[in-house]
Amino acid sequence: MCFKWVAAEGELRVDPATRAVDASSARRKISDYDRNTIEAARVAAGSIGSELVGLTFGGPDARTGIKDALARGVDRAVHVVADEGARADGHVTAHVLAAQVRRLEDVDLVLCTEGASDTYAHETGPRLGELLGWPVVTNVRELTVEGRTLRAVRVLGADLETVECDLPALVTVVPEVAPAPIPGLRSVLGAAKKPSEQVPVADLGLPAGAVTARTTVTSFLGYVAARRRVVLADGAAQDKVDALVAGLAQDGVLR
Amino acid sequence: MSEDTEAVDVIVVGAGLAGIACAYRLALAGRSVVLVERGTTAGSKNVSGGRLYTYALEAVEPGLTRAAPFERAVVREQIVMMDDDRSMTVSLAGPPAAAGDLPASVTVLRSRFDAWFADRAEAAGVMLATGIRVDSLLIEDGRVVGIMAGGEEMRAGVVVAADGVNSFLAREAGLVGELSAHAVGIGVKEVIALDAATIEDRFGVGPGEGAATLMLGCTAGVHGGAFLYTNSGSVSLGIVVSPDQMTASGTTTHGMLQALKAHPALRPLIAGGTTLEYAAHLVREDGWRGVPKRLARGGFLVTGEAAGFVLNLGYTVRGMDLALVSGVAAAEAIVAGGDLETAYRAALDRSGLPATMRAADGYADLMGIERLYRTYPGLVLDVVQSMFTVDARAPRPLRTQVRAAMRANHVPLRAVLRDGLVGVRSI
Repeated sequence: MCFKWVAAEGELRVDPATRAVDASSARRKISDYDRNTIEAARVAAGSIGSELVGLTFGGPDARTGIKDALARGVDRAVHVVADEGARADGHVTAHVLAAQVRRLEDVDLVLCTEGASDTYAHETGPRLGELLGWPVVTNVRELTVEGRTLRAVRVLGADLETVECDLPALVTVVPEVAPAPIPGLRSVLGAAKKPSEQVPVADLGLPAGAVTARTTVTSFLGYVAARRRVVLADGAAQDKVDALVAGLAQDGVLR
Repeated sequence: MSEDTEAVDVIVVGAGLAGIACAYRLALAGRSVVLVERGTTAGSKNVSGGRLYTYALEAVEPGLTRAAPFERAVVREQIVMMDDDRSMTVSLAGPPAAAGDLPASVTVLRSRFDAWFADRAEAAGVMLATGIRVDSLLIEDGRVVGIMAGGEEMRAGVVVAADGVNSFLAREAGLVGELSAHAVGIGVKEVIALDAATIEDRFGVGPGEGAATLMLGCTAGVHGGAFLYTNSGSVSLGIVVSPDQMTASGTTTHGMLQALKAHPALRPLIAGGTTLEYAAHLVREDGWRGVPKRLARGGFLVTGEAAGFVLNLGYTVRGMDLALVSGVAAAEAIVAGGDLETAYRAALDRSGLPATMRAADGYADLMGIERLYRTYPGLVLDVVQSMFTVDARAPRPLRTQVRAAMRANHVPLRAVLRDGLVGVRSI
């Protein structure tokens, strides 16, 4: 399964004047939805007696995230360490993950979350499946593996669709796929004894084109809801109430 | 106990400075140690004013101060007496008192500092488990044999409670009772971002150097005071007050802190800064009298703030240094073996902690003088202001000015004498 180490969105600071976003003081965490994915992957791996490898691509600080992933049930972790300052988009991330998945032997199933809690771009999973040349099943809320067959239930708005495909396959899952239990004392302590590996991105031998972002972020601003800022300060209380009611009616709040 | 669970030598509960110091020293001594922390990272829930005396870091391991990610070395000490709009600052700057070129005290931000310290402990072999809440002690035949956390039991030869000011483990072990409102102050603190050059300008310090400021008379007459410490790229501004008087004062700690930020003495120091974080903490104020009669029982001991090892001296609050040395003493006691209480008391005595706390015992009486928090700062300001007032009239003798100021502040001479006597006796 693939997980992403992201800034805690609740700790981003948005400058009210410039709307500039400051992530420097935000703590980092495993993307929230990836926690559900780890649990779903743990259950799926257990059902077929397979090893669960947690795979992440990120800066050196993702070390803490690896410990968390191991505590949550990943058997072994591989951290592809991004070059300092290098920017990765879906194109780069998918190429890096695909190269690392190929280095692992006998991979039957890769689980990704539908989107990460920071960018929510919905592209890494499908891109990765395509690069591996595997069937891709998205929006999955239930999955079972029997023999060499994957059966998945997809969410289509209010409807559910059941899909089957051969392994190996790539599945992107929604958070409802599994709960994300908080790891207990023994799991947390056990994590320190599980193997993990750090792989510099250069060791993957990817061509420059694969590790060069194709999109450029030109601006990153906080979204500040526009407020009307109408202040009813003048006049008697009755006038102010009348003005408030009239204003709310005009905006369709009151009918 | 099921087959797959293994017992460890020691479980330390709480990755604050006492807990980390204890676990670190035990690991260095070759013991298997599990350090359990409720926060998601060590330091994420830990709050203190932010000044650390370095002798205690050196007591954990010589050379530790130099390796530590502290904010600034304190080279300037200031005491500010204030009333609603006036202030008088006593500022002491000079060569550091500590040996060599080591600063005697440094400022720290706990989230950064504790994370580093816990990392170092882990590298020494401590098994750190964060995000785990300990629910209770495991007690068999009158002996503490482990902990219960989230329905899981874990066994150890000794459990160390380093779970902070409101230690429920020490209560469960029967060593302490409920905290009384008289025994604690409430501390609230804001960390306000300012760039390094601005800090160095405003506080008259060089790069890497900082100031520690304590303020009296800013608590609306309520028993307490305030502090301002400089960090690398921020200042820590906090106020510590007595909660049982707060309700009567009609204001809130938060309100007091906001009023302090607007005070003419403070406003220019923090102008243009943005508040990064807001935190609150209970501060023990009962000194040595608040330390439990027994610090250990079979398989269990209590250390750091959980054991009441905090000193509020009025001009400074000492918590972190006492936490470090008591954590070290706890580790030494466990390594020494034998009766825990005896070994722990002996190790504490060697550290000098009980002597330090007993020497400051009378401060509780001094701090109990109500006039210290509004009347005396106002009185001193009146006297000093009249000293500096020059007009066409003939200057009055100083004693006349003092008497006039005392009358204006409704302080009879006998009250000053009585308070003075308490003050002299207590220090």
